[in-house]
Amino acid sequence: MAPPPDAPSSTLRPLATLSPPSNSRAWQSAPHPSLPLVATACSDKTVRVYSLTSFTLVHSISGGHKRSIRSVSWKPGLKGQSVLATGSFDASAGIWRRHEGGEQEHDFTGAGRDEEDDEEAEDEDYQFSCILDGHESEIKSLQWSPSGQYLATCSRDKSVWIWEELEDDNFETVAVLQEHDGDVKCVAWHPEEDLLASASYDDTVRLYREDQDDWVQVGVIEGHGETVWWVEFEGSGMAQKDFRSRRDGLTEEQSQHVELLERSGPRLATCSDDKTVRLWRRTPKERSEQDSRSTGIPSVLRSFSIDEEWLEDAILPQQHERTVYSVSWSRKTGMIVSTGSDGRIIVYKERWRDPASNSVKTSVQNSEAMEGVGNSEAKAHTPSLTEWVVVAELFSAHDVFEVNHVCWAPRKDKGRRDDDEEVIVSTGDDGVVRVWVLD
Amino acid sequence: MSAILSADDLNDFISPGVACIKPIETLPAERSTDSSNPYEVTTEDKAAASQPRAPAQISLTDCLACSGCVTSAEAVLVSLQSHNEVLTTLDAHPPLSLPWLEHDGTNGYSNGITHTSNGTTNGVNDYHTAEGRLFVASVSPQTRASLAAVFSVSEAEAGNMIAQLLGGPSGLRGGGLHGSDFTWVVDTNVLREACLVAAAEEVSQALTPSARTPTTGSEGALDTTPKQPILTSACPGWICYAEKTHPYILPHLSRLKSPQALTGTLIKSVLCQRFNIAPSQIWHVAIMPCFDKKLEASRSELTSSAWLPDHDLSQGSVRDVDCVITARELLHMAAARNIPFSSLPRTPIPSSQRTPFPDPRLDAFLFPPSRRKNQNPVAGPSGGYLYHILQTCQAQNPGSEISVSRGRNADVMEYSLVRGSETIIKMARFYGFRNIQNLVRRLKPSKISRLPGAKSGASRRPGASGAAGNEGAKDYAYVEVMACPGGCTNGGGQVKVQEVEDVRAAEGTHAVNGDAVISKPGPKEQKEWLARVDEAYFSGSDEESLDGDGDQVMTDNDGPTTNGHAKEDDIVNGISRSYIGDVLSHWSDLTGVDAQRLLYTSYRKVESDVGKKKQSDVERVAGLASSLGGGW
Repeated sequence: MAPPPDAPSSTLRPLATLSPPSNSRAWQSAPHPSLPLVATACSDKTVRVYSLTSFTLVHSISGGHKRSIRSVSWKPGLKGQSVLATGSFDASAGIWRRHEGGEQEHDFTGAGRDEEDDEEAEDEDYQFSCILDGHESEIKSLQWSPSGQYLATCSRDKSVWIWEELEDDNFETVAVLQEHDGDVKCVAWHPEEDLLASASYDDTVRLYREDQDDWVQVGVIEGHGETVWWVEFEGSGMAQKDFRSRRDGLTEEQSQHVELLERSGPRLATCSDDKTVRLWRRTPKERSEQDSRSTGIPSVLRSFSIDEEWLEDAILPQQHERTVYSVSWSRKTGMIVSTGSDGRIIVYKERWRDPASNSVKTSVQNSEAMEGVGNSEAKAHTPSLTEWVVVAELFSAHDVFEVNHVCWAPRKDKGRRDDDEEVIVSTGDDGVVRVWVLD
Repeated sequence: MSAILSADDLNDFISPGVACIKPIETLPAERSTDSSNPYEVTTEDKAAASQPRAPAQISLTDCLACSGCVTSAEAVLVSLQSHNEVLTTLDAHPPLSLPWLEHDGTNGYSNGITHTSNGTTNGVNDYHTAEGRLFVASVSPQTRASLAAVFSVSEAEAGNMIAQLLGGPSGLRGGGLHGSDFTWVVDTNVLREACLVAAAEEVSQALTPSARTPTTGSEGALDTTPKQPILTSACPGWICYAEKTHPYILPHLSRLKSPQALTGTLIKSVLCQRFNIAPSQIWHVAIMPCFDKKLEASRSELTSSAWLPDHDLSQGSVRDVDCVITARELLHMAAARNIPFSSLPRTPIPSSQRTPFPDPRLDAFLFPPSRRKNQNPVAGPSGGYLYHILQTCQAQNPGSEISVSRGRNADVMEYSLVRGSETIIKMARFYGFRNIQNLVRRLKPSKISRLPGAKSGASRRPGASGAAGNEGAKDYAYVEVMACPGGCTNGGGQVKVQEVEDVRAAEGTHAVNGDAVISKPGPKEQKEWLARVDEAYFSGSDEESLDGDGDQVMTDNDGPTTNGHAKEDDIVNGISRSYIGDVLSHWSDLTGVDAQRLLYTSYRKVESDVGKKKQSDVERVAGLASSLGGGW
């Protein structure tokens, strides 16, 4: 069934170019958590919200920031309204709201409406509701936690901030984390736990968690040789969705591997100036530790128990010739897409390694960064049971321009083949957002 | 915040400022003096050899006047105020022979009862050579607590060891060119008591309706009463941050000097105005838990020009505190002179060897016969401003009770004074940068927190504009703000948990039973260590009322009872308001300077003049950069 690994099995077909494009650089796009929309952060200080059904511009959010908007994130889990956070090079983050559902939401009692009558047309717009400032330099990335309780921002000032929304538009700073030695490029939340990851110019990825009242660093991932540009967690429960979901016919080793991965939880994908995309896996906590905790013996060791060890799980086949800016992990299929300065878009998928095959283009798995690993992880030195292969590759996705961001989004146009079908959304220096399907 | 100014760890938090163009700006325009043809091709060597450019220099003043990077200021600060600077100064100057001792040995009143403002006139140097210096040190209780925890001694013993190092027979006196050492080692707790009393008065004044609240243009001025809530101004990290990034906070800042600054002003002003010693001949070092105190000492507001009545600008102003070093640097200094700190006597310097302060009343105030206790843990490890003010209010409201509730985290505490169902006053404590963020956001005038030009949806959604949070902060009469999480005992200059073992090893001391610190400390070890320093801080015991000669000192010679019948609410937490008031007015009388000018200081909005003048250029460049791909 598997095609030869060195010939990509699929192609990326252009589905649409969102129009009209921005006439200045576009940085990043974020699909709406429930509606067929995608928001794009543009350097012309606007956010452009496009429909994924018609592929046209629906809203343009402007007038707030003084410099380029670098990052956008939709607040998850809302009904009846959309909340968008914007992070800008003007060192501030903005919160914008829009009531979804149109006319029936209107208040026709007349209370407080007098000054709004002439704003009828703007009623459908995103309303600025709050500014979060405190960063001393450009905000590079921001993301809401899956619960919507926290918003993480990171900046060129080397800090990562965590904000908590106590009630609507009332934000408190709950943490200012200054562990990085350089510009912090990206932040990402774990899909199931209040665990935050940040990637930086200092070549590291750092992980943070709340310990009693304080957010503290609980892990450092060192392995990339250059700036880490993007960090993203695997979706929740992917073992039920990707190639691992087929349990019949697995060897005992393979079953154990699946079980180990489930205990580790979602993995982490990172990409870097060193042209690689790497995956990281958490070392599961020892069961015995939990047992002893219940007996209350090693309270002295408690602080160690919040520390996490993340080990390299894989290096994806190296297909990029220049900096890899962005990597995205499909929540439906477990496939990974990456893009970068070379304008390429590469799609990868994981599969069981055929013990007999000795293919060239498979990923280098577990080969390095294993020093200092405890004996519990001795198993990791053996060749991995899985391999990542290139499914599709596309050159010059945005002509000669760099591609700054790529992500998966649900396919919502009329041509979609099934409910779970996904598209790939790429955002480029040309200000264009393109939508691709995998055939 | 404080950690950014560490001499030992120059780990820049703020990257060297993009906006800092000072070196370029201040360089004289390069004149092309050579007559060579500008179009002529020249080689690299020739160009290099022709005229070396003067190295660009940034002075501390430049950096403090700029809201850009703090980092450039660091290097300057560190070289200006380090333990090496202390040793160099001790080596450079012989001890000043004290005029009042030379003349008749009595305490100074003989040379001039009437006040003459001769502080800066000639003839000051009648008694001694111009090189002589009077060395004075002041020591903060947090520093003592840090060293007490490191060497497993009591805070009082640590204080004695510091005094022995600075002014004892086996201390600094034994080395150096001139055998100079510190004539006086003052406990800043003494002046802190004055600060506490004055802080309580400032708050009660601000609460009276007639208070002169700051107006536009005089937001941080000395002679205005701060706006409610009054915010503590003793933390230099916080002040620095507020002045540079949140000028709207300035009207709220307490005008009161910090204990460090007040110690400096007291010593220099009295000695200058009363005893003919020029401020420049007194060299005052403060030993503090915090690197940012160096910034405070460098403030132009805290110099002799603030209190010398006929200040001659040409003479230049002299800082009230010349140098600040931290607990770590104190240990470096001892090591540099080969004095093992742990071997210093743990007993006080005998009073027979002590040089009294020339004014007997101030002598009794500065060197009280019994040690000043730190307050109890509920007052916090940062001087106890809030708690003292609250207790003062409580004393004025019989039957009231103090209730304390914990906020979102251990560094946010809310205090209220209640009587029955009535809340008389509310105060709060905000420590640490993240909590300060939340405080300043709530105090922000609402219109600033709008993105200009953005359409606001707030009117559409009544009750959701975050107004509730704003009211919360403005309800407080007083907020004790400190930049460090955990307060001043956790200052950036304290011995850190990861350094403890190194220090102990270098000193040849070993951990006392179970006292060992784990080699790779995590957040938990950090907390445990801080708890130990806090314990030392709060453990100030009463058993130290014996002086070094073993004599029981009479404690009532100039104590709180001087005034005869004290009012019922006069003594709060062992501090007598009338006694402090007497001392302060005595000080004011001695110097002929209004008490307000001695006690209070001012703050100003710090704007980046580097960016401002060329604002358009900078903006244009930034805009250009972002359109060309800058900012990546």
